[in-house]
Amino acid sequence: MSVARSLRQIAIVVRKELKDSLRDRRALWSIVFSVSIGPMIIGFMMNRVADRQREAEQVRVPVVGTQYAPALVDWLRQQSGVQIVEGPQNPEEAVRNQEEELAIIIPKDFAKTFNQSKPAVLQIVADSSRNDARPRVERVRRLLQQYGAEIGSLRLIARGVSPSASQPLVLEDIEVSTAQQRAAQILTFIPMFIMMAGFVGGMQIATDSTAGERERGSLEPLLVNPAPRLVFVGGKWLAAALAAMVSTGLTTVLCAILPRFLPLEEMGIRFRIGPEHLTGIIGAALPMCLFSAALQSAVGTLARSFKEAQSYMGVLVLMPMIPGVLGALYPMGNAPWMYATPMLGPYVLLTNVLGGQTPAINAFLISAGISIVAAAILVRITATLFESERIIFGR
Amino acid sequence: MIRVEQLRKQFGSVTAVNGVTFTAENGAITGLLGPNGAGKTTTLRMLYSVMRPDSGSIKVDDIDAIASPHDAQGRLGVLPDGFGLYPRLTAREHLEYFGELHGISGPALRQRTKELLDLLDMNAIADRRTAGFSHGERTKVGLARALVHNPQNVLLDEPTNGLDVMSTRAVRTIVRRLKEEGRCVLFSSHVMQEVSALCDSIVVIAHGQVVGRGSPDDLRQHTGHDNLEDAFVALASVDRGVRE
Repeated sequence: MSVARSLRQIAIVVRKELKDSLRDRRALWSIVFSVSIGPMIIGFMMNRVADRQREAEQVRVPVVGTQYAPALVDWLRQQSGVQIVEGPQNPEEAVRNQEEELAIIIPKDFAKTFNQSKPAVLQIVADSSRNDARPRVERVRRLLQQYGAEIGSLRLIARGVSPSASQPLVLEDIEVSTAQQRAAQILTFIPMFIMMAGFVGGMQIATDSTAGERERGSLEPLLVNPAPRLVFVGGKWLAAALAAMVSTGLTTVLCAILPRFLPLEEMGIRFRIGPEHLTGIIGAALPMCLFSAALQSAVGTLARSFKEAQSYMGVLVLMPMIPGVLGALYPMGNAPWMYATPMLGPYVLLTNVLGGQTPAINAFLISAGISIVAAAILVRITATLFESERIIFGR
Repeated sequence: MIRVEQLRKQFGSVTAVNGVTFTAENGAITGLLGPNGAGKTTTLRMLYSVMRPDSGSIKVDDIDAIASPHDAQGRLGVLPDGFGLYPRLTAREHLEYFGELHGISGPALRQRTKELLDLLDMNAIADRRTAGFSHGERTKVGLARALVHNPQNVLLDEPTNGLDVMSTRAVRTIVRRLKEEGRCVLFSSHVMQEVSALCDSIVVIAHGQVVGRGSPDDLRQHTGHDNLEDAFVALASVDRGVRE
């Protein structure tokens, strides 16, 4: 059997599998979903961060008993972004039911205690389990502490004591988790989403052309055609890999367009994916598609049914997420062994490329080489499985 | 022409095919007759090289099918038992896919596809996706797909199983036509009437062995039963009678 004929047959199988899956609505939707979910999540999260930043400045403070401490209420009103409103009848109930994020209760005897220079009680009603309200509760708490400190200083001065005597410590908060950093952290998910797109993009073809083919009983007639098993497996693998590559490309393009619609400037973040990044992204991600498609074809062939294959795929899909999640938690270096690890190499490369530092060409070659060798081994194994009577006829 | 000698196949401790020998001639319809589980499908699967025999030899037009399976497959048209189709491809695309895999393309493929669609009276369904096809329509697609490369030898594993009368007739017409064209048709069935109506030569298989062979008349004479069905029962239960 000549090589030219085998190559022609591989092309025939690829074309058939692509045509078949293009007609598969479910496959198309899974590709559309895998391609757009990443950019959508990033856009959504970025907008949230920007909104939060804007919101934390604006705080609405319901106060119960404004008449008992008019000076305090006036002072609060003068602070920027603070809006004082009349407190609800039952402030605790209102906060518990999430009608209000917080409330200040000024007790009736506030003025009396205050004027006697005794500690006057103020109550802040808040729900500490509500993360979204926390920045505003914190801001109000700080404002009240600031007011207390100012009054305390005035009282000491009135008694001829330096206010600094009562302040042995000065605490300064240096907040590292600024909005910029949070936003930058979100952008580090882009490599993961590009890899996920590659992984999910080829999944449907890989499953349908192996486990699906067996389950439909169309594998036996297919194998009656005069071609080595490697031709069938190679065609199925390449079809899945092509779909994965197209998905990867589309996600990359979406990620490149996306920053234009995000309030990145407002948050002081410079981020763009330009043509100069594209070669790097392609060099990092496309060889990975060859590997992931080969892995999926092998697993799909081993599964006893389409359903079983799909549940395995659900587990496999976690693979490209592992380096992404680890990378978000621990800063990863650029150790050479990383490039030589199938899913990790592309991830590290993508992170570097998007971070603006282009890795050495050798790093790309090692990563691509490992992906291709691993893919070749897996395709070989799958072809052997296709020889096995247990696989062809076993259900 | 297909020549099978001393074919054996074992699955674990079960011997599915135990020394089957027969010849299917060109220009003749050979029936592989036997009860369910007799080893017919396993024998055919070894013939079309999706199973490897443990021992024995298979010759397809004098090509050793075990040593050069792809050359043999090129000379075989096969309708496997319980075959499946691609629900999202049309009938025509099924023919084209297999035709291309056999190395036919362009005008030759279009011409051959058209001939088969006409022959099997499939023009009304040719460009419909096969999802939702009736059993008869599916069988026609499977049959046309098996014949797309004009094979000299045609293997049909229980092709009329579960078909209605009209479709069964269509299949029989095709099979007779293949014979007239001088092809070798090997056809398995567990239905007596089917085989006696069509076949020039019958190979009766039971428990993985050939228990009778010859024309319908030979078999009647050999077993001493006038009725072919009685002859079949007599043959198929030769050694079972001892055990039961």
